[in-house]
Amino acid sequence: MPEYLVIFAQFHMDFRLPELESLAVLEGVELVYDRASYTDDHPFLIVNLKSDEDAQRLIRRSILIKEVVRLYADEKTFEDLLDVVRDTKEIHGPYQNSSFRFDVRAFGHTLSQEEQVERIELFCFLPCGAVKIKNPDVVFTYIEDYGTVFTRGHYRPEKPFRVLFGVLVAKGDRGLIHTYDLKKRKYLGTTSMDAELSLVMANQALARPGSFILDPFVGTGSFLITCAHYGAFTMGSDIDGRQIRGKGDRNIESNAVQYKLTNRVLDTLVADLAHHPWRQQPFWDAIVCDPPYGVRAGAKKLGRGQKSKVPPGPLEPKKPNGEQRYPQTVPYEMHDVIVDLIDFAGVHLVPGGRLVYWLPTITDEYTPEDIPTHPKFRLIANSAQIFGTWCRRLITMEKLHDEPSDKEAAQGAEALSASPAHAKFRSTYFKEAQGKLEQLKLSE
Amino acid sequence: MLQCHAKSCPQGQSYPLAIRNAELEQLDAEFNADFVTRLMPKLDWAVLRKTAFELGVAELPAEIPTEPTQADLQLIHKVALETRIKEADMVCNGCGHVYPIKDGVPNMLLQDHEI
Ligand SMILES: C[S@@+](CC[C@H](N)C(=O)[O-])C[C@H]1O[C@@H](n2cnc3c(N)ncnc32)[C@H](O)[C@@H]1O
Ligand SMILES: [Zn+2]
Repeated sequence: MPEYLVIFAQFHMDFRLPELESLAVLEGVELVYDRASYTDDHPFLIVNLKSDEDAQRLIRRSILIKEVVRLYADEKTFEDLLDVVRDTKEIHGPYQNSSFRFDVRAFGHTLSQEEQVERIELFCFLPCGAVKIKNPDVVFTYIEDYGTVFTRGHYRPEKPFRVLFGVLVAKGDRGLIHTYDLKKRKYLGTTSMDAELSLVMANQALARPGSFILDPFVGTGSFLITCAHYGAFTMGSDIDGRQIRGKGDRNIESNAVQYKLTNRVLDTLVADLAHHPWRQQPFWDAIVCDPPYGVRAGAKKLGRGQKSKVPPGPLEPKKPNGEQRYPQTVPYEMHDVIVDLIDFAGVHLVPGGRLVYWLPTITDEYTPEDIPTHPKFRLIANSAQIFGTWCRRLITMEKLHDEPSDKEAAQGAEALSASPAHAKFRSTYFKEAQGKLEQLKLSE
Repeated sequence: MLQCHAKSCPQGQSYPLAIRNAELEQLDAEFNADFVTRLMPKLDWAVLRKTAFELGVAELPAEIPTEPTQADLQLIHKVALETRIKEADMVCNGCGHVYPIKDGVPNMLLQDHEI
């Protein structure tokens, strides 16, 4: 299979390979690469793909990839590179009458206009038509890699340590970040997630036309919007109806109207994940959410404090003093939130469906064993976004099949919660972590 | 898709919830045949049909159309994507629990004595 160069954006590095792999699954593209050749501090990855068309499909939805270039030369020096390009007959025939443009890139260095022109002129042996800056027939890409502070130290080398040449074949879709920019969104809350990560999450969830996606902690509905953008039908629920209803004419529904997604952003309802009304059946293709952690983030569930007695029957909707009566709630421990979420996903996802959720951890204390496991799930990806002392991880899990023996378990929620089966789950870590995280977040 | 989940609700009668005192609303949702086709396998046809009939929205065919015509798709679109229940009570046939829909948002929270 031919070689291609993937050029990533230098953002959210830990999310780039997971996104690439999710896109390969989503588009059914055969993707081969050497994991050891990838580093977070570089924007490049060499992959093997069947064709230019596959490259286009692979990254047409990518948020974290800028471009893919069909790679023709990958050398140590410019001179060697010119020789290789001269000998590559494949690129001498097809472009004789094509308009063209040269993109010159440098990583770890900035090339002046003159330096760029100097490089381009040395490629003048390539048989081509006229230069055209906008929408030419072909874009030749020449890249110089000067390395990073990590690989080269603080001095700036005279010469790049690696040079690459190829033809641009595909572009990612980073423009979407702008389309869904929160600054332009009419209904927002303190919990709204930025467009870039919300879009990456939709890719991790394999959101596509016809998928059904649920956010059980929907808040202001950030993920409903990005998943629906890709054609998914989305629904949400939240224990706090004020989030869903918003203020006046600004709410989840008005956001759906703003982005013309009303035929896919379906209903949202008020419900508690710990006592939820969804029928016990595999229905959702993905569950995508940012769970509430800690009291400040509104982590609560229905329940009674220890002192309060079970009322004998229905209470009046209004208290004697005329105030609206709301059901009582108790704090929802981080550990319980995650166990309930994964158990819920185990029952309600279809086989092959994905659970995509955020998990906060304390940077220094984290070990990979802290990631919850469940016999019905396989871990697909674990990507960290670090905020100094604390960090949030985007976890992507895939539900395996519904084993026949699971059928009994699926019949009653009680049977399930009695065997949450998260073998490596360190509950004490989560109890301690919750307190620390809240302190850290407050102090930052 | 929603069922009653009160602790005391008798097994097997918690679904479907009946809809009472409904006030409907038309939504502005662009017709897209593809979307409707993809929506269909997820619908509980019998419940959708009964509800649409009781609310006077439309009379859907008794069986889910296997090769839906354009008219079928438009009808399903109207029922499932263009009509919304703005205000109503969803009532459980098993235990009589009432879940209110306010402003298009169903409130599925239980009360203190039901958890
Ligand atoms: C971090 S926010 C999610 C924000 C959302 N992603 C957005 O775009 O705005 C967590 C949400 O979970 C809700 N929540 C807290 N406890 C809950 C529970 N027991 N069941 C359902 N939702 C709950 C909170 O009301 C809050 O809106
Ligand atoms: Zn009931």
